Amino acid sequence: MSFEPVVLFFVFGVSAGLLRSDLKIPGSIYEALSIYILLAIGLKGGVELAKYPLGDLVGSGIVIVMIGALIPFVAFPVLHYLGKLSRADSASIAAHYGSVSVVTFSVGITLLGREALDFEGYLIVFLVLLEMPALVIGVILARYGQGGVRWGKLLHEVFFGKSIYLLAGGLIIGYIAGPEGIKPLDKVFFDLFKGVLALFLLEMGLVASSRIADLRTYGAFLVGFAVLMPLFSALLGTITGWMLGFSVGGTFLLATLFASASYIAAPAAMRIAVPEANPTLSIGASLGMTFPFNIFLGLPIYLWMAQLIHA
Amino acid sequence: MSPQSIYLLTIITEAVLEKDIIDAIMSLGAKGYTITDARGRGTHGLRSGKWSVGANLRIEVVGNKDLCARIVEHMQSHYEKNYGLLMYTHPVELQYHDDLGKPQ
Repeated sequence: MSFEPVVLFFVFGVSAGLLRSDLKIPGSIYEALSIYILLAIGLKGGVELAKYPLGDLVGSGIVIVMIGALIPFVAFPVLHYLGKLSRADSASIAAHYGSVSVVTFSVGITLLGREALDFEGYLIVFLVLLEMPALVIGVILARYGQGGVRWGKLLHEVFFGKSIYLLAGGLIIGYIAGPEGIKPLDKVFFDLFKGVLALFLLEMGLVASSRIADLRTYGAFLVGFAVLMPLFSALLGTITGWMLGFSVGGTFLLATLFASASYIAAPAAMRIAVPEANPTLSIGASLGMTFPFNIFLGLPIYLWMAQLIHA
Repeated sequence: MSPQSIYLLTIITEAVLEKDIIDAIMSLGAKGYTITDARGRGTHGLRSGKWSVGANLRIEVVGNKDLCARIVEHMQSHYEKNYGLLMYTHPVELQYHDDLGKPQ
């Protein structure tokens, strides 16, 4: 089992919340940290992307997005029929689990660095692509046969919401700059990344601690879902990555992407498009349960799965 | 001072609605508005002000009674059912000559 020390900052944040410490990261600093992380990840992806011919990625991109889009279609019936959650809540949670988490992905990359494993750098492009379809599918699932979707508003939020916008902007800038052109920026955006990620995880721990208390009210079903769903999605990601001929590191990262649940882009989009869904349920499950599960237990399991399938 | 009473309408609601509400307020005839970030607790639980979904806004609009009533009605019909929403008005005195009290 490998263990990435940055996740200890998350534990540190959770314990500050549970111990009622007055530790607080100001909202504007949190905003700045999240902008930094999204831009840095985008830039990194763009620089890597510049090393590959774009045409080679179209095929695997289509396969990955289509298989990724299956996740909300699997999650929705489980939540709605098995969990007896309302249509709106089931659709909103399904969208959160179909979408991806940049921070989980970032912790995955630092884990690979620690294990000295390479990965296909262009996978970061799929991080951007996988954020979007699940949000649209979630709204379709919520509104199926009921009409009344403000598509204009939703699509605007999906494409121009700050997380997608920053990731995509970083990708494009990184792609244009290329490995040489980015050099003047790499001290800020690449060398400092892990430290900023640690600060961000501290803040996430603080926020998650307030969500963990809510979990008691959700019942065993949602808690079980928040652990089993990422395992299922990771299996899907591992098989997909292996079939596409990715390296161990690439397969692991694709599994991590599939397994992660969004808590930045999806909550904002769902709040606007499916307002009757209770955000406490979806954020509680994705941030209070799935995120900590993924960074502590999930990632080592997905790495083991990737190594096993390549053995 | 204008002959009509002037009111301060304060709306506390979710930050995700900011753009929609500003558009509505301006199209309903307001001359302007002031927005500040807010946090607190209400029937929708703790609003930490952290995530876009957990963030609240305090929107203030000064105008005559009709304008405030139009905005309140719009807010109730569009957002009251599914979003955290608190609205109240104060009678206020403007400290300079303005036409905010005229029919808008």
